[in-house]
Amino acid sequence: MFNRRAVSTLMLAAGAALAAVAAWAASAPASTPAAQSAPVAGAHPYAPTNGAPAAPKPVSTSTADHSKFKELQRPFASGPEVTKACLSCHTEAAKQVMRTKHWTWEFMNPDSGQRLGKKNVINNFCTAVPSNYQFCTACHVGYGWKDANFDFSNQNAVDCLVCHDTTGKYRKLPGLAGHPPYKDMEFPPHSGKIVKAADLKMVAQNVGKTSRATCGACHFYGGGGDAVKHGDLDSSMTNPGKYLDIHMAKDGNNFTCGTCHATSSHDVPGSRYTPTAMPAKGAQMRGKKEEHANPATCEACHGSRPHPLTQAKLNDHTDTLACQTCHIPQFARGNVATKMVWDWSTAGKLDEKGKPIVIKDSAGRVAYDSKKGDFRYESHVIPDYIWFNGTVNYTLRDTKLNPDQVVKINSFEGSPTDGKSKIWPIKVFRGKQPYDKVSMSLLIPHTYGQDEAAFWSYFNWEKSLTAGMKAVNEKFSGQYGFVSTEMSWPITHMVAPKDDALKCTQCHSHHGRLQKVAGIYMPGRDANPYLNFLGWAAALLTFLGVLIHGALRIYLNRKGN
Amino acid sequence: MWKVIGGFVGGILFTALLGYQMMPSMMFTERLSPFDMEETIARIQQNIQQAGNGWELSGLRNPARAVQKDGGNVLPVMMIEACSTKYSKPILNDDSVRFLSILMPCKVTVYKKNDGKTYIGTMNAGLMGKMFGPLVGEVMGHVADDQKKFVVFDPSKPAPKMIEGVPGGEGKGGAGGGGGGGC
Repeated sequence: MFNRRAVSTLMLAAGAALAAVAAWAASAPASTPAAQSAPVAGAHPYAPTNGAPAAPKPVSTSTADHSKFKELQRPFASGPEVTKACLSCHTEAAKQVMRTKHWTWEFMNPDSGQRLGKKNVINNFCTAVPSNYQFCTACHVGYGWKDANFDFSNQNAVDCLVCHDTTGKYRKLPGLAGHPPYKDMEFPPHSGKIVKAADLKMVAQNVGKTSRATCGACHFYGGGGDAVKHGDLDSSMTNPGKYLDIHMAKDGNNFTCGTCHATSSHDVPGSRYTPTAMPAKGAQMRGKKEEHANPATCEACHGSRPHPLTQAKLNDHTDTLACQTCHIPQFARGNVATKMVWDWSTAGKLDEKGKPIVIKDSAGRVAYDSKKGDFRYESHVIPDYIWFNGTVNYTLRDTKLNPDQVVKINSFEGSPTDGKSKIWPIKVFRGKQPYDKVSMSLLIPHTYGQDEAAFWSYFNWEKSLTAGMKAVNEKFSGQYGFVSTEMSWPITHMVAPKDDALKCTQCHSHHGRLQKVAGIYMPGRDANPYLNFLGWAAALLTFLGVLIHGALRIYLNRKGN
Repeated sequence: MWKVIGGFVGGILFTALLGYQMMPSMMFTERLSPFDMEETIARIQQNIQQAGNGWELSGLRNPARAVQKDGGNVLPVMMIEACSTKYSKPILNDDSVRFLSILMPCKVTVYKKNDGKTYIGTMNAGLMGKMFGPLVGEVMGHVADDQKKFVVFDPSKPAPKMIEGVPGGEGKGGAGGGGGGGC
């Protein structure tokens, strides 16, 4: 006769075995990491176009109709002529502009003593301005900066229209030294596309406040194309939906850039050279003079305890986390992929006929261009997170580098203990770019031009680098290599609706967003092995105690019977 | 005796619980893609076009776009739709299983997760087909075999171009129907 207990155990085991067999028979691994390596997407079409689509024109609230101004009733042959007319009324405007980085492209960092600004830094996307002025200055607020002899004191060379155009018809093309086309021209060259000559009279008669389109004409296309440089600024921000930016949404608050970057005397606050990592506590009164106050921070409007009492715990995070960390869950969310990698080392390959090559990726973006090398793109990018206290150190022309290590073009300082840092989301732009093997410093390539040293025309690195360095009166040894570089960009635009902010467990978990952020204890992420051991030991001992106690009770009860 | 019955019932309950727990991974599979979203989609589309057996692309949908239109955010997700008349016809011709047209066209989803990686999701057509008798079981078995080929990649081959304007699928997103392309 079978033991009843044995039978029930057998039945239970049979059930489990049945389930196991069914699962084995039908199972496929839930997550199968593929063994293949991971090539990535490419680049976007040849880009630098400053003609972002104009935002819908709002009803003007201005007290002046520029189309009625006598000074603007005549045809204009050039941009400087328009500026001269503007300055006849706005007498101080050019002087104000000339004091800003938008004009000088230069910034002396008082803390680090580094001379920065576009004129001086070498980046790891389009590299450097010197020797390429005529091309790069399409994004200068001036006319005629074609070489190092540009007259920075000429008020008529200030370009008023590039910021104050409301028509969307004013477009500065690369290669024209900051001028718009004064006659119809084919752009990009050999593309068959004709850019119409700027109607300067019409544009001048329709000037107004800056807009997302005017700021974006340069800032959305920084680095030579849409979404190249920044991950959080691209053409999708010209008319964003609420999902993309809750502040700037065209059907929502409809902020312009100037709403946050509240400008005074043409000086736009919110520089990337001196970012505000930990703003002053509390909201800032507009117009009130406060030392080091930056109106372009979140806290300037929202204060430092912005969450309601029902979510008071979130306010305990604001000393440690930048608002952007939770409220910008990904960047490049506007369906425009941002460039993440730019490898100059592969540039210069030509086809069998000696012609430059362009290869596109699956999304139709340029993955390889003989002029520029290999690109990789990504959209909806999960940011990197770092401690950041607002101090940025740059690798400049004269900085010695170690080619065996990744060179940080800019290093963000910060730590959990300095009392000035918060955890910030950043985009890390990676690349390879030329350096001098003898001087161990970064090199400037001369890319644009018709001369035989221009890399984009003749693809000769040695001549290009020689010309680039000569433009800044620096020597080039003739020996060059390519070094891996990284450049970081704080992420601060593309603020998502509050419902889409990061949830607690996206950070408070193993392998969460802040997995690599050191220096803090985060419940859910971190554990102390000794404390864990003590806890588990206590639980085990309690369990054993219960078992022994129960066993003793049973034993003593039976013995008593 | 009660212990025997108790053990039997316990076994059944345990099996049911185990099945319930394992059902999602049995009915659906998820695998990591070595490529980004667009290239993954393009390579799957190419595989479908080269799979033979009457397979045709019938759509590329972007459910995330509908969420965006509603003012919200989700990570990218795209649905590749494909159909084969060779496999759909016998099922659509049989009144007893015609309701399975709800499973048509075949879908492969490509999506990004919070780790920043791209994943591929498929339905276990073979297992599902077995639940609906021999005809469907056989057809879906063939579908499952072909489906496996859709997600086999050869990285040595250049990345093909993603096909957005496939018949029946607007490619730009939203929910909604769209036939064509074989079904």
